[in-house]
Amino acid sequence: MNMLDEDRMAQSSPSACPPPTDTPKLRLANVSKSFHVPRGEAIEAIKDVSFTTLENEVCVLLGPSGCGKSTVLRMVAGLEQPSSGELMLDGCPITGPSQERGMVFQAYTSFDWLTVQQNVEYGMRLNHVPKAQRRERARHFIELVGLSRFAGAYPRHLSGGMKQRVAIARTLANEPAILLMDEPFGALDAQTRWQMQELMMSIVESANTTILMVTHDIEEAIFLADRIEFMSRHPGRVHEEIIPSFKQGRRLRHKEELIGLAGYGDLERHILHLMRAQGGEDFEH
Amino acid sequence: MEVASKSSAYRARWFEFLTPTSKRWRLLLGATVWVIFFGLWEMAVLWGWVNTLLVPSPLEVIRTLYELFAERGFLSDVGISIARILGSFLVACTLAIPLGILMGSFKTVEAFFNPFVSAWRYLPAPAFIPILLMWFGTGELPKLALLFLGVIFFLITLIMDHTSQVRAELIETAMTLGGQRWQILWTVVVPAVLPNILTSMRQMLAIAWTYLVIAEIIASTTGIGAMMMRARRFLHTDEIMAGILIIGILGLAFDVLFRWLQRVLFPYLDQEGH
Ligand SMILES: Nc1ncnc2c1ncn2[C@@H]1O[C@H](COP(=O)(O)OP(=O)(O)OP(=O)(O)O)[C@@H](O)[C@H]1O
Ligand SMILES: [Mg+2]
Repeated sequence: MNMLDEDRMAQSSPSACPPPTDTPKLRLANVSKSFHVPRGEAIEAIKDVSFTTLENEVCVLLGPSGCGKSTVLRMVAGLEQPSSGELMLDGCPITGPSQERGMVFQAYTSFDWLTVQQNVEYGMRLNHVPKAQRRERARHFIELVGLSRFAGAYPRHLSGGMKQRVAIARTLANEPAILLMDEPFGALDAQTRWQMQELMMSIVESANTTILMVTHDIEEAIFLADRIEFMSRHPGRVHEEIIPSFKQGRRLRHKEELIGLAGYGDLERHILHLMRAQGGEDFEH
Repeated sequence: MEVASKSSAYRARWFEFLTPTSKRWRLLLGATVWVIFFGLWEMAVLWGWVNTLLVPSPLEVIRTLYELFAERGFLSDVGISIARILGSFLVACTLAIPLGILMGSFKTVEAFFNPFVSAWRYLPAPAFIPILLMWFGTGELPKLALLFLGVIFFLITLIMDHTSQVRAELIETAMTLGGQRWQILWTVVVPAVLPNILTSMRQMLAIAWTYLVIAEIIASTTGIGAMMMRARRFLHTDEIMAGILIIGILGLAFDVLFRWLQRVLFPYLDQEGH
């Protein structure tokens, strides 16, 4: 077993850490990451990324393709090691993947051999949650994402949106300290997509979780975010931190509300300008 | 005559891209090719196109097959052959499945075993027959060893490849749910790769039949292959062909068995395409 040990496999234990005071939930300080490709120069994917996320906040990483959003998220998840810099959750350094930082991917990750109920119970089974409690909590979260009727179904009978709802319920039922999502609705059609966004908002209200989410959909970012970290590329950095203050700290339930709010149009225009300034270069050469 | 479509207004043609045929038609067409095959064979014999000493009629072959079973204790030969196949295949699987899964899961294990395993794959198993005979004499052991050698290295490689193709997102999801390595191995990697392992076993069992016949023809006094070699000495072509027929039937039966197992063990898979 020892022969297979690697740093990234190390499980971070929350017990030995200082109690949370007014420290931010998640803090990244000067995080950089280079990838070494065989027979080539190292690719500097992100450089000196710093930002913080507060408790119960929805923080969105937004930016053009290739700016390193996924890389940042994967480092927070502990799936990738930073080349330099510090990542802290609740004041504890992140040293590897852990149940505290559950991730929902863009690709469907339902376990085909388990029913919806078993899928949602899966994380709790890994963590030895007693059976009765497991079943109850799974039932609660399956209801929260509106899949009660499908609890006994296998994933192959579910649509794409339903599979993502299973993944979200599975992660939430495992009670992570922070929920990580990498373009979770990226593979869905427009209609399902905004339904999922509204579902996310209702979940945020009832489940009280901190969320770090990646998207390149501007409207989605503005609708969901309490805080937007806009990233630029080559190398990836945080270009601008945007607080959608026109929402006045309110969480919206329906996307229509967004359109009506004064300030929405301005913010969307501003971000579009940033995107254009960032994204144009691909087409220039 | 309607082929694919029931509505007569819509064109129905024999050969159409991307158009499925009904189950009834598939069965009928599949049976037809055999009827034609045996028909031509029977005709060739009846009309004296071939020497019946070398090519007996299909009816003759079937009659001989019945005789072999009913009067000449052929069942024990068949039983011995099946036992050899299953015995050596079982041993090969108990080694190859865990090893293949570990090699596909952990790069260190792969780096250690793979140079060895892939080198053996390029050595045709029959090349070992002389040495196996020298080492183990003429008992069961050389036959079992040949079958084992012929199957194990391919099986390991197939299982390793399937295991390394288990989607990274599934493993990473389990990691971020707090899974330890061995938990993830048992609860994600193994169930994800199990259907493919069964498919690999089905494919390799067909190869095992090949080596069985080789082993029994070269160095055995029992089993289907040995019976065929005995028949050759007495110019009993009908018995040789009966042997070929039974090998074919058994191979098919095992294939059907595995497909059935696949459906029963993995009902959650979408199996339409298989
Ligand atoms: N495993 C890897 N090996 C080499 N380079 C990588 C690797 N992962 C990411 N990169 C590089 O790092 C940069 C950032 O990639 P990343 O996937 O984080 O971007 P992204 O913002 O998520 O893009 P997208 O919106 O297209 O998903 C890219 O230039 C990419 O080529
Ligand atoms: Mg990405």
